[in-house]
Amino acid sequence: MPGASESNSDAKHLSLPGSASSSVTEARWRVVAASVIGVSHRKVGLPCQDSHAWRVLPGGILIAAVADGAGSAPLAEVGSKCAADAAIEVANENADRILAAGNSGSEDNCAAELKLCLNAALSAVETEAEKRGAAVRDLATTLILVFAAPNWTAAIQVGDGAVVLRETDGSLLSLTTPPDAEYANETTFLTTPAATKTAQHGFHAGVGAQLALFSDGLQRLALLLPAGTPHSPFFAPLFRFAADSTDTVAADEQLTAFLTSPRITERADDDLTLLLATRI
Amino acid sequence: MSVSSVLEDAVEFAENPEPRCPCVLLLDTSGSMNGPALQALNDGLRSFKEDIARDSLASRRVEIAVVTFNSVVEIVQEFVTADQFEPPILEARGMTHIGAAIDQALDMIQERKQQYRKNGVAYYRPWVFLITDGAPQGEPDAVVEMAAQRVKSDEASKRVAFFAVGVENADMARLSQLTVRAPVKLVGLNFVEMFVWLSASMQKISQSKVDEQVALPPPGWGAV
Repeated sequence: MPGASESNSDAKHLSLPGSASSSVTEARWRVVAASVIGVSHRKVGLPCQDSHAWRVLPGGILIAAVADGAGSAPLAEVGSKCAADAAIEVANENADRILAAGNSGSEDNCAAELKLCLNAALSAVETEAEKRGAAVRDLATTLILVFAAPNWTAAIQVGDGAVVLRETDGSLLSLTTPPDAEYANETTFLTTPAATKTAQHGFHAGVGAQLALFSDGLQRLALLLPAGTPHSPFFAPLFRFAADSTDTVAADEQLTAFLTSPRITERADDDLTLLLATRI
Repeated sequence: MSVSSVLEDAVEFAENPEPRCPCVLLLDTSGSMNGPALQALNDGLRSFKEDIARDSLASRRVEIAVVTFNSVVEIVQEFVTADQFEPPILEARGMTHIGAAIDQALDMIQERKQQYRKNGVAYYRPWVFLITDGAPQGEPDAVVEMAAQRVKSDEASKRVAFFAVGVENADMARLSQLTVRAPVKLVGLNFVEMFVWLSASMQKISQSKVDEQVALPPPGWGAV
């Protein structure tokens, strides 16, 4: 399973030493994540074009990103990885500013800070395209970025996919939802003109106990559409699994196995990414 | 039992309807189609059904409607998902009322979209696939002209993707006046290959997320 093993090595590579599984006592978050290749992609020889990245920062902050490269873009997997990695880099660099904006309680200021991260991710994608002598649209990708502070969580998103938050009392809410488009295969990409200006953002004041970020492949299984409300029989076992997984390397593998299991693949043939984060 | 299989058993999925990919087959059954052309078309329809049925997701997502036209326009098959589609056996007679047929197809699409929206069903850009061996015949020019205008406006606003295929002695020049996309001339009576291509295209659309227009497999069955 090339897509699956790739995503596992990605996850290991992206977690900072001492920030996640290797030293649970230090960490304030535990992350289980996988990006797997879709059945339809495998059929036509496309690679897994989804990417994810995350980092735990001092002070109980988590930053996480999920990007879904456009099936029609020849370098989609490059674009999605570049966008997710760059978003994490910039959110890390700007963490103090983002934190201050969110702590002030201003959702708009926080969204403005996160928009800067999207713009920086777009610049990174543009630079990568130039380096490869490719058009920017060849690296077309969606991007979801989440910044989870101790007392609030903010998300920003271009394109589809969604972010679901579990509150400490167990209730679920969608921080972002798949945007409306007339056609099922239409979405906005980071590389779409003015996309970052119209990015969807969400803010939750209060402690987010757990988070799920996922690409559009899981939308129809995880959300009640078109409203976009979380389907709790989907999330409850997954959040329980994420909370109980002390060995995150094994958990990544289990999540990969789950995402590639027949029950999923007979319903969802696209690339799939699921990132589950638990505050510990 | 491994953790992942426990997970697999425990997780329940939201029951959302499959997104639909509507396609109207607009088929010329005028008198001139009689004989080998009609036989080949009937065979082609069966191949379409068989090919799409091999793909379980596509057969739940692709919706097919069949409209025939000669001196009358007839809905032979209302929209059904491909797994429910039973290819009709067509008979040919009469004139070639293309204009009225185009109108019928675009009406059906508009109505179907409303039904999708009312029921919260996501959908892909609808296709109309017109197959004819002639040119408009037996109806007022104004009807044909208005239908052509409607195709142009619906294409421009991305309401539909309209394809035309000419068979044997079809008037390709006239056909190209009716559609925005260049009509394709069928090589011989190679309907089977054409429908297999259509099936592959539908499978591709119904399973991919794309930027704009889907990059379609190149037709090996016709010439533009």
